[in-house]
Amino acid sequence: MSQHRVIVVGGGLAGLAAAARVAEAGLPVDLFSLVPVKRSHSVCAQGGINACNEVARQQGYSEYEHFDETIYGGDFLADQHPVLEMANMAPRIIDLLDRMGVPFNRTSEGQRDLRLFGGSLFKRTHFAGATTGQQLLYALDEQVRRGESEGKITKYEFWEFLWPVQHDGRCVGIVAQDMRTMQIRAFRADAVVMATGGCGLVFGKSTNSIICTGAAAARCYQAGVWYANPEMIQVHPTAIPGADKLRLMSESARGEGGRVWVPRKKGDSRPPHDIPEPERWYFLEEKYPAYGNIVPRDIATREIFDVCVNQGMGVDGKNQVYLDLSHMDADYLTRKLGGILEIYEKFVGEDPRHVPMKIFPAVHYSMGGLWTQYVKGSYAPAAPLPKHKSGARPPLGAEPGQGMQPGAPTNMMTNMPGLYAFGEVNFAYHGANRLGANALLSCIFDGVFCGQSVVNFVRDGAPGKAPAAGLPAGPYDQVVQGESDKVARLLSSVSKGAADPATNPYIIGMELGEEMTAACTVVRTGPRLEQCLRKIADFRQRYAAAVLADDAAWSNQALGYARAVGDMIALAEAIAKGALTRCESRGAHYRTDFPERDDARFMKTTVARCDAAGGSSLTLEPIDASLIAPTARTYGKKDDAHGKKDAPKAAMAGVS
Amino acid sequence: MFLSPAERCVHVGKTIGFLERNHFLLRRLHSLTGIIPIGAFLIVHLTTNSSIVWGAINAQKGDTPLARGVNTFQHEVAFIHSLPFLILIEVFGLWLPIAFHAVLGVYYARTGSMNTARYPYQGNRRYALQRLSGYAGILFIFYHVATLRWGWTWLPYSSIFNARNAASTTALALQGGTEGLQFDGVVVSLSYMIGVSLLVFHFANGLWTAAITWGLTVSAAAQRRWGYICATLGVVLMAMAWMSVIGFATLNAADATRIEIGTPSTHAGRGAELAPELTSTQPGPDARTPKAE
Amino acid sequence: MTSPTDNAPHAPRRAATPGRSVIFRILRADGPGGAQRWEEFKVPIPAGANVISCLQWIAANPVTTSGQRTTPVAWDSGCLEEVCGACTMVINGKVRQSCSCLIDEYAPGEGDVITLEPMSKFPVVRDLWVDRSRMFHTLQRIKAWVPIDGTYDLGPGPAERPADQETRYVLSTCMTCGCCLEACPQYKLERDPENFDTAFVGAAALSQARLFNAHKTGRDLKPDRLEALMGPGGVNDCGNAQNCVQVCPKHIPLTESIAAIGRAVTIHAFARFFRG
Repeated sequence: MSQHRVIVVGGGLAGLAAAARVAEAGLPVDLFSLVPVKRSHSVCAQGGINACNEVARQQGYSEYEHFDETIYGGDFLADQHPVLEMANMAPRIIDLLDRMGVPFNRTSEGQRDLRLFGGSLFKRTHFAGATTGQQLLYALDEQVRRGESEGKITKYEFWEFLWPVQHDGRCVGIVAQDMRTMQIRAFRADAVVMATGGCGLVFGKSTNSIICTGAAAARCYQAGVWYANPEMIQVHPTAIPGADKLRLMSESARGEGGRVWVPRKKGDSRPPHDIPEPERWYFLEEKYPAYGNIVPRDIATREIFDVCVNQGMGVDGKNQVYLDLSHMDADYLTRKLGGILEIYEKFVGEDPRHVPMKIFPAVHYSMGGLWTQYVKGSYAPAAPLPKHKSGARPPLGAEPGQGMQPGAPTNMMTNMPGLYAFGEVNFAYHGANRLGANALLSCIFDGVFCGQSVVNFVRDGAPGKAPAAGLPAGPYDQVVQGESDKVARLLSSVSKGAADPATNPYIIGMELGEEMTAACTVVRTGPRLEQCLRKIADFRQRYAAAVLADDAAWSNQALGYARAVGDMIALAEAIAKGALTRCESRGAHYRTDFPERDDARFMKTTVARCDAAGGSSLTLEPIDASLIAPTARTYGKKDDAHGKKDAPKAAMAGVS
Repeated sequence: MFLSPAERCVHVGKTIGFLERNHFLLRRLHSLTGIIPIGAFLIVHLTTNSSIVWGAINAQKGDTPLARGVNTFQHEVAFIHSLPFLILIEVFGLWLPIAFHAVLGVYYARTGSMNTARYPYQGNRRYALQRLSGYAGILFIFYHVATLRWGWTWLPYSSIFNARNAASTTALALQGGTEGLQFDGVVVSLSYMIGVSLLVFHFANGLWTAAITWGLTVSAAAQRRWGYICATLGVVLMAMAWMSVIGFATLNAADATRIEIGTPSTHAGRGAELAPELTSTQPGPDARTPKAE
Repeated sequence: MTSPTDNAPHAPRRAATPGRSVIFRILRADGPGGAQRWEEFKVPIPAGANVISCLQWIAANPVTTSGQRTTPVAWDSGCLEEVCGACTMVINGKVRQSCSCLIDEYAPGEGDVITLEPMSKFPVVRDLWVDRSRMFHTLQRIKAWVPIDGTYDLGPGPAERPADQETRYVLSTCMTCGCCLEACPQYKLERDPENFDTAFVGAAALSQARLFNAHKTGRDLKPDRLEALMGPGGVNDCGNAQNCVQVCPKHIPLTESIAAIGRAVTIHAFARFFRG
């Protein structure tokens, strides 16, 4: 057994959970991360993690309803079996995290406290202050550190994944580069888990961390791994515009009474408090009298976008609107929203208790990712069921194995045997739109549930007979050579002459982000996407002639960024092409030229395959929707058939 | 894998010295000796010395303030010098603890590097002053003990202390001669003023940090409250310290001598308690020795 | 005894000049142990600029004020919202995260100067990028984890009073940024990993030891942690300057943690002495 090894690329929640589970099973793990794993992007998640719990259960909630909500929230684009398994496992995952010492908020009796979150009428979100992601990441980081001290896990921090190595039709390792010493070398492994997160940087500024370029996924994609639903990019309605990134402003600001407005007069430059009430345009309240400022995420996002981009009504002529809490009692705000108000204060330098915040939607999450497969579990209803009614008896219990077969070697394996995708880089769970507080869940679920599949693949699959340790060096050397050549080509471009913006990788990256944000985020149209694809082709050409400003053989960050720009371009093309191909509106994907959902043609997974030239070809693959029948995604509008509108108050009142 | 500190050192392949092996014990002894006996002695010593100003022991009706002070101080000094095995008490109760505290203190202080220029917080300034006052305190205590206790007259500005004429000889030491406060005396008195002030700070602040070191004060509020207590103690000790220095620096040594000579007779039987070597010593204002060449 | 902390939200500031340029003086080094040099860059400041956005601008335009082309400045960063701890550096002489350092506050006027230096307590990798692996090593040294029985479902963890959760939560927000260590006069640069096990652990690790000692299962390793912290480089090396708590961006009560560990080792030492 000892001759087998597993590589995990990425040290966020998914990667750490996978490393812990695989190491626990007795396989040595090599863990690669661009940054010290404790600084991974999972640290940014604020809200919480969803799971059915006893309180909600006694109010009529169930794991099944969690599953149902997730499918519905994802606008029926997800294969349903893996989501069922995830929802069923969720309470067990919470227990596990609890045992690891995550300081979940507590009730007066010492039980785990719960909060309400979008997409559900039940309190089913567990949380640790306003930094749940941080707390979960740290708990897993600590377990991995323990594995490290026991010699079971070896960390390679500040190492960048460059390319998967294949032999005999399967993935047998990776080539990576130490971004301090710049050494490029191959690592052998019998299975490789990609847990490399999202691709927010393709859009320039997003709520993502600076490391979320999507480059690792893009490299796998260019190496032959399929990329699914690239067009499904979640845009969060309220973020704080910044010169370097867009920082999330939690939905709870609106939940507590925040009002969104712009001056009625275009270009009104008066300070907000000098603008009298009648001259303010509370456009959400005006357009949606029933829901007002708490319309669902995608609607709020589209309206704010429309006001600023299409109508040019943004505050100070910029892409920003007021999110106003200043009419409320400052003490109350501090009590309820202290944490997030402090973030605004810290990064903008203004006190939102007295001055309206300026916010704008921002790219937040990629539902799409590497295509993965799974083995169905035992649950097989005769026909897809209608939408579940709260309180009704769920059609099945929550025992493991009903959604996915536990330990099946192909669970969440990509089309490249031996290469897995876990976490945000896995497309499997969130369909066309992710529900709040489901991201952390899907990461850890992948790690602990599908980690078992990795172990079984290594023991019983192809590596069982031919461990990577015994393979010839040829395939590894070949990839190392290829990557070294790529680096040499980039470094040889360095000239001390005057910088040309056309070939400056930083400028190319910035312009790519601007173009992708303009064409591929909130509102998409066929012609604009076609224009975007032409621009991407242009970026590709410019990138081929890129000139770096640094040829240092030590800690060359300019090289790392420039290399990632090339991969981001490849991914951008898949995103734009996916958006163009999907002639409908579904979840986060909204086409003004096709405003309706079209299940007949597009209740399908977009699968992008990369050709030799780096371009993509797309196919639409069928979805397994054998568990729940699709319904219109209306979220409680008057025509909502499920009549849950009266239920929420009872459900909410029951929990402290 | 359970490792004791010593095993840990071995584990990482370091040769372990005495200091590493007994790290915890030495650190805590260093902290403890600062309070007991050194700090406790400081309190007693300053109380005794400042009695030159506030003294009222065995006061007679009609005594001048000078007489009350000199008599009290003499009384206290006589008591101390009447203790059996005084030299053993001094060596093991004072000099060795002070040496221990000083040597380790210097060693520990050198493990840090002050950064008050970049981080001018009050706590950081006290950290820096704690170390500077420690260094200065060692020099001061050495000079003080060497001149007034060991009689190392070759030291500059030194003079002999005589327990039989405690107040007057102390006054002469601080005044630089029999003619009242002179230049030498100003130098000595200022040194005493600075030295003893730094030591009082060192003790008060050390008492505050010791409570954290031993874990008596955990919460910030407790640390603040204990801080007020230490600061108050520091102010009181500082007052006594300054009283002592100013008191002796301005004392009329000639008058004091006359009172001291009268002391045994005024309080019959007192002289009998004095150690023999003290009673045989010839007192007098001319006890000041010539300066070392 | 305490003055207002340095990391409190800033009071209303001097109005910043729009459209201005600011001078960045940056202490650079090409590699570990290499000679350090100052370079100056003149950076145009858009609204909402912070140190990160200015470094990004410099990366795209690596030309000094004297017109010399140079290499982009290397620095470490991650989340850019002060929760990952990566972008810590010394700005105008004080350690802090560069992402939350707003130019409008630090350099509101035309031509104002901002100095950037790498942290001095960690070996420089390049320019402003330092190697903080010692901090992560220290977390191993003090066994900063809960010794669970594995990652399978074995039921819920121990119940916890809300007050205890609140105490632990604050301690658990430590992002291993190193501010407390940079400002600590007792924490010193240590290049040799061989010495990591005997050099001072610093406030962050002491606070983490307290965090795990406070957990019902984590407590099992308390004797190990205390033994590690009684030895060379343990809690006794603290000099009580208390800079740590002043510069902690997460307002973690580090000095309380130090005192709590002080108390724990005192009790542990007596218990060991009498119990054997």
